[in-house]
Amino acid sequence: MATSPEIVSGEYKYGFHDDVDYLEETKAGLTRETVEAISRFKDEPQWMLDFRLRAYEHYLSRPMPQWGGDLMQIDLSKIVYYRKPSQGEEKSWDDVPDKIKKTFERLGIPEAERKFLAGVGAQYDSEVVYHSVREELSKIGVVFMGTDQGLKEYPELFRKYFATVVPPEDNKFAALNSAVWSGGSFVYVPKGVEVPLPLQAYFRINAENTGQFERTLIIVDEGAKVHYIEGCTAPIYTTDALHAAVVEVIALPHSKVRYTTIQNWSNDVYNLVTKRAHAHAYSTVEWIDANTGSKLTMKYPSIYLRGEGATAEVISVAVAGKGQHQDTGAKAIHLAPNTRSRIISKSISKDGGRTTYRGQLKVVPGATGVVASVRCDALLLDEGSRSDTYPYIDIQEDDTTMTHEATVGKISQDQVFYLMSRGLTENEATNLVVQGFLEVFTKELPMEYAIEFNRLVKLEMEGSLG
Amino acid sequence: MTDIAQGAPAAAPKGNAASAAPAAARQGPLDLTLSFVDGAAVRGTAGAAADPDWLLADRLEGLRAFEALPIETNQLYTTYIDLRNAHLAAARPYAGPAAVSPGAGAAKLLPEGAAAYAEIRENQIAALVLSAEARDAGLILETLAQTQTRDPELLRKLVEGGCALPENDKLAQMTRALWSGGLLIHVPDGVRLERPIVLRWSVGAPDTALLTRTIISLGEDAEVSVVEEQVSADASAPISTDAQAFFAGTTEAVIGAGSTLSFAGLQDFSLRQIAFQHRSTVLARGATVRWALAQLGCRVVRSRIDNRLEGDGSTVEQAEIVFGSADQLFDLTSYTRQVGRDTTGNLLSKAVLADRSRAYMKGLATIEHSAHGTDSFLGEFAMLLSKQARSVAIPSLEIDQPDCRRVAHASSVGPIDETQLFYLESRGLDPDEARKAIVLGYLEPVVARVPLESAQDRLRELLEAKWDARTVARPAAAAVA
Repeated sequence: MATSPEIVSGEYKYGFHDDVDYLEETKAGLTRETVEAISRFKDEPQWMLDFRLRAYEHYLSRPMPQWGGDLMQIDLSKIVYYRKPSQGEEKSWDDVPDKIKKTFERLGIPEAERKFLAGVGAQYDSEVVYHSVREELSKIGVVFMGTDQGLKEYPELFRKYFATVVPPEDNKFAALNSAVWSGGSFVYVPKGVEVPLPLQAYFRINAENTGQFERTLIIVDEGAKVHYIEGCTAPIYTTDALHAAVVEVIALPHSKVRYTTIQNWSNDVYNLVTKRAHAHAYSTVEWIDANTGSKLTMKYPSIYLRGEGATAEVISVAVAGKGQHQDTGAKAIHLAPNTRSRIISKSISKDGGRTTYRGQLKVVPGATGVVASVRCDALLLDEGSRSDTYPYIDIQEDDTTMTHEATVGKISQDQVFYLMSRGLTENEATNLVVQGFLEVFTKELPMEYAIEFNRLVKLEMEGSLG
Repeated sequence: MTDIAQGAPAAAPKGNAASAAPAAARQGPLDLTLSFVDGAAVRGTAGAAADPDWLLADRLEGLRAFEALPIETNQLYTTYIDLRNAHLAAARPYAGPAAVSPGAGAAKLLPEGAAAYAEIRENQIAALVLSAEARDAGLILETLAQTQTRDPELLRKLVEGGCALPENDKLAQMTRALWSGGLLIHVPDGVRLERPIVLRWSVGAPDTALLTRTIISLGEDAEVSVVEEQVSADASAPISTDAQAFFAGTTEAVIGAGSTLSFAGLQDFSLRQIAFQHRSTVLARGATVRWALAQLGCRVVRSRIDNRLEGDGSTVEQAEIVFGSADQLFDLTSYTRQVGRDTTGNLLSKAVLADRSRAYMKGLATIEHSAHGTDSFLGEFAMLLSKQARSVAIPSLEIDQPDCRRVAHASSVGPIDETQLFYLESRGLDPDEARKAIVLGYLEPVVARVPLESAQDRLRELLEAKWDARTVARPAAAAVA
């Protein structure tokens, strides 16, 4: 078994399973020296160091966002921005909260995987799977590796596209990520290649560990097709306070990209992610995005429709339970004629949780023949839960067809009553109604993910996750 | 370009050269160029009106808020405000409250079918007349100056304890500080007037500023409808003048239990007018407010409506239409706060935008935790008639109580429907007639809500005239800027 000895356990999990030998960790807090040290540890080219420093300067000058969720609890000075994977503190299975253990059990996660997910065990056998997948992929020219490795092995391709979709100046947390990024996936699909199986970052990340400031760059060349999946239904247990990722997708003409996320961070994580795609002519970009975990998520997957005839679709689901705030949404920016977008958002608030839909739909002058729709539905399951909807619809072209609808409501007692009269318990009935509400999302998932996701939602509904 | 209009008109007083000059250089979207808002102006206004001390204090409180507040306090909307076409540095407020013209009470001034009539021409009350029937029923329609003389305690109660202008709104607080005239409508308990009260504002002399409040108080189980027409006084003013006129007006309505207020507002000021409107209501148990608002005129109009549904079973029905042309900007915000149980909010905005006109439709419905059994709908729709027109819709919801009947919003934007056009053309209408029929039909549901038939007809005429003017003016549209 190719269990790599240096990846043992760690409070922080930046590692990627390559041969770069990191010697140190940075001190807590972020200074110019920290940024320089990270770049030095990684032996990066000068341009990347310059980029990180530019981002760092911008990060300093940018105020904290005053909108969305409450970010005041994040103590950015206490974070260790880079640490060698093997130097994490040893933790024991006993330290893992009962709630997480119980969830693993209920989801039927294998023993070895549980420990990995909890950050207390070594990786498990998925590495074998990953390597065989990687071999298959490389035969057809598909690149699928860690982002740091991508920078080293494909310097020109990397530099051509990196930060072209999300510049460091985009927002404070994109600037932070740009300054200290580490880990994430680098994907390149060559012209005309259709990747037959979803690329599952889960396998790759199992082998190489995930990161707090991961950076993913996906380039899909002309006529190519790929489905990328990140995350998994099991809660990722981490003591990291902050997860600030950046994902950039470039869909070149006539390509098709689907990016599926099922993210279930444990409930103390601030998940502040910038995800954006450029859709060139006649390409299709789809974000399929579920957010069930974290304390606060602020994430608005965006698609800039830059080429004529491009298509965008965002289907997102947010579930907020006790103490959680899911501030999520989507953006479609129509910059070219005859582009289409469809946004569907479903959210569920329960046990005092709060969901916010925040979206933008923009059609610029000259983008004629645009067809766009936005649909947001929210379910509030109990007293004290809350749901907000803030859609921005800015149309500057008369030849646009745009519709937007939103509803907020509670579970239909009629439906529950009907199901109970057919012999279901109240819990089962409620569950079924919720699953029906989310079906537009789950039907887009690969089967095994859909099954796990339904199971997860069921557990959430039963309140058995605490 | 539009910004050059700021070039200081001859009338600009010297004392304000400092504030006018930078505005001429480059005026940003958030720049409020008004130069007369200060403590001296507030004291001057209070002095001219012989205000009691409490009223001066209230004005100074408004000034403090004005000075402290940003132009837009709601972060949701900070990127959607644009005052670049409001060049107000030379505007001067009228000194003292409007004087009532001799003969203003003549019965012959009362329009047919109206219960009462007030006409304000610039700073002059040209008509103030009640039908005998309305007077006998106990209706009060008077200037706020008259209220102060007749019943100072009532005025104090209405100003200090009424529905209050929004505390977080800089422009509303400016009106609170500097209003120099206004009207009171009071309908006593149990009085239901069948005929509407008509208010007519005809203002717009260059470089003037009129700040005014309209206070409406409905007792319990009362009912009244109000038609407010806002038109340009001065159709004869040379169109070549760059000097703008400024109007800031409020409607502040306290609606008692079981009462109904129907309010139709018809804004057709000239394109040299800049207007800020604030309309606020507080609704008691079982009360209803029906807004039917048409926005046709002004270079820039910024309107804000606050509905506060405090009483159980209270209802707001709000319908607003916009017909824009040239480079008009309609900046419309509405806040509906549902507090009581079983309240209903039904809010609809429809815009038709030609030329380079723009509409920002910002609606926020807040369902508070106490608001069980809410029914709330918010719809914002736009029809774009030109490539340069722009529509922004931000229909937002904040829901803190899951026990609701319905909470939804909807929005759509599109050009004239080709199928409808084809159908009408196939019936023999020429393309322009067909387009006109579709546009007017699109706005008709709101027109039909105006309570007075003659006002309905007038609104239809105005819409038609605007359509025709748009069609004719189209090739020469650039000349308007």
